[in-house]
Amino acid sequence: MSALGRILLVEDDPKDVELTLTALDEYKLANEVVVVGDGEEALDYLYYRGTFATRTKESPAVILLDLKLPKVDGLEVLQQLKRDEKLKLIPVVVLTSSREERDMVASYQLGVNAYVVKPVDFHEFVNAIKELGVFWAIINEPPPGSVRKGS
Amino acid sequence: MQAMFRSDVQTKLVNASAEAQEVARDQGTPSDSGSQILTPGHGAASTVMESIRAYGLAVLAIAIASGIALVGDLQGLSRVPTPLFLIAIAVAVWYGGRGPGAVAVVLATLTFDYLFTQPRYSFHVGPEDRDHFIVFIVFAVMIGWFVSVRRRAEEDLRRARDELAEAVVKRTEQASLLDLTHDTIFVRDMNDVITYWNHGAQELFGWTSAQAIGKAAHELLETVYPVPFEEINAELLRSGRWEGELRKTKADGTRVVVAARWALRRDELGQPVSVLATNNDITEQKRREERIRQLNADLQRRSRELEASNKELEAFAYSTSHDLRAPLRHMAGYSELLQKSAAPVLDEKSRRYVAMLLESAKRMGDLIDDLLAFSRIGRAEQRNTLVDLGQLAREVVSEVERGAEGRNIAWRIGALPTLFGDRSMLRLVLVNLLSNAVKFTRTRARAEIEIGCTDGNQEEVVVFVRDNGVGFDMKYVAKLFGVFQRLHRAETFEGTGIGLATVQRIIARHGGRVWAEGAVDRGATFYFSAPKTTGGQS
Repeated sequence: MSALGRILLVEDDPKDVELTLTALDEYKLANEVVVVGDGEEALDYLYYRGTFATRTKESPAVILLDLKLPKVDGLEVLQQLKRDEKLKLIPVVVLTSSREERDMVASYQLGVNAYVVKPVDFHEFVNAIKELGVFWAIINEPPPGSVRKGS
Repeated sequence: MQAMFRSDVQTKLVNASAEAQEVARDQGTPSDSGSQILTPGHGAASTVMESIRAYGLAVLAIAIASGIALVGDLQGLSRVPTPLFLIAIAVAVWYGGRGPGAVAVVLATLTFDYLFTQPRYSFHVGPEDRDHFIVFIVFAVMIGWFVSVRRRAEEDLRRARDELAEAVVKRTEQASLLDLTHDTIFVRDMNDVITYWNHGAQELFGWTSAQAIGKAAHELLETVYPVPFEEINAELLRSGRWEGELRKTKADGTRVVVAARWALRRDELGQPVSVLATNNDITEQKRREERIRQLNADLQRRSRELEASNKELEAFAYSTSHDLRAPLRHMAGYSELLQKSAAPVLDEKSRRYVAMLLESAKRMGDLIDDLLAFSRIGRAEQRNTLVDLGQLAREVVSEVERGAEGRNIAWRIGALPTLFGDRSMLRLVLVNLLSNAVKFTRTRARAEIEIGCTDGNQEEVVVFVRDNGVGFDMKYVAKLFGVFQRLHRAETFEGTGIGLATVQRIIARHGGRVWAEGAVDRGATFYFSAPKTTGGQS
């Protein structure tokens, strides 16, 4: 595991956060995860605003985005990111409970990089998270300006 | 239109004949005596007889006048003879015409000269005789002229009467024709009094013409106007006609709706005299229209309700999809974590409990997923194309086979038709039917699964999937296609009971039916029908 990227997890449900982190931890990916609880916080993080005004100027290697979020929902966050010339290069993976076609279609239309439905079965869930983490944070070459651990 | 003239014609006829009778009375003879003289077609013998009678009358008149004058003369009445002879000449001219008149004048002059002028009893012609002669001639000419004027007037009158009689016959015929029509026709004058009432009117409204004529039309019929009557009347007077729907009441009190057409008749001076009203009963038609309008309104309301409930369902499904799966995932996740972290300290029983928790959560997840998929089929838009069912079946068979490794299955794929439908939905039908067949033949050493087509009828094709599996009892056949209906226990054959319900829903959306045949332990056959396409068999 040479170059671990930073993962931004946008998830409002603490149980889902815990389970996701647990899953990532099994593959030693949990350390590089930043968790934000809603869409507004996610945008604050990405635009260095509010509590994130002083953080290092680095983009995450991948954003794991839930759709149903308080304040600003996932699709709105996605729309803003993909409209922004600088941020649109960051890979975004929608990670959601919903299998609804309209969510899927809307996400792809906005330019999402992957759409993953969280499986009920924990094993499958762990596998999905693991594969996501491994692919986006390790295998995939992130766009310039993204942070890599050890780089 | 002609009917409205009838009453007028009758009146005129009555007037005409009364006038003729008056004339006849003036003449003191039956009105048709003159016409006998003039009527052509009498034989020559009768003409001669007429002449003899006329001349005889002239002679007789003069003879009677002479006789009375002589008697008067004997009584010393010297002024009597002249008026008597004038009367005699008048009678001769009146009834005899020119010839007998001339004869009467000559005879009168001669008789007068011989009997009453000096020298008496001699034909000596003196100035007195000449005067008398001139008086007689002038008188005869005057009477003659008067007679000819009278005759001409009489003749004109007769011709007019004949024409009227003819017209009456014609109009009566037309009026009786109007009686034949099914249309309801009546005529009313400008005071709204009914003057004509045809048979159709009697049939529709119930009053006979004798009962209706003379009554005020709109009082009798209790007419209800769609707009104020003044407006209708203004339109009628302006354009001469009016059309519209009116409500009227029959003799028995029931209400009718009629399509009324009014036409105004004017006299020679342009004054409105009567209105011809045609009425067609459209009560039934109106009732049907009203019913259709109501049904349409109902339909619209229902479709709005359906739309609303569909939207609700969609919202429900959406939130189910998002919100119900999350806690399940947490239950499963934490149970798994518990199993992992507490495994060393848990006894066998507790480990089983945790396993059951996991299994139930997973099953719940499957149920929710299936239910959502099922509800999506009802809501999803159908994208129809020509679908080669044979090719689709081969695809599905290879997919289903992958999930049945290690099984001995003999597949038989017959000729299948091309259908016009949604490919992904039809695929789901085949996946469900074929995976069911694989599942329920699990207990067989060698499974036999056949998919084929029987030529249903002219409109539809029938596709079947047959297996040699465990089958089912036909008494539960009605339950097969219900949502979450299962005929096997969960431990025997897994499943949520949504597959066949999905099949039924998709086939119904494609305009077909589903049904099944089977027997316990002797396999099952599932059928679905679909409308034929011109594509035919593949």
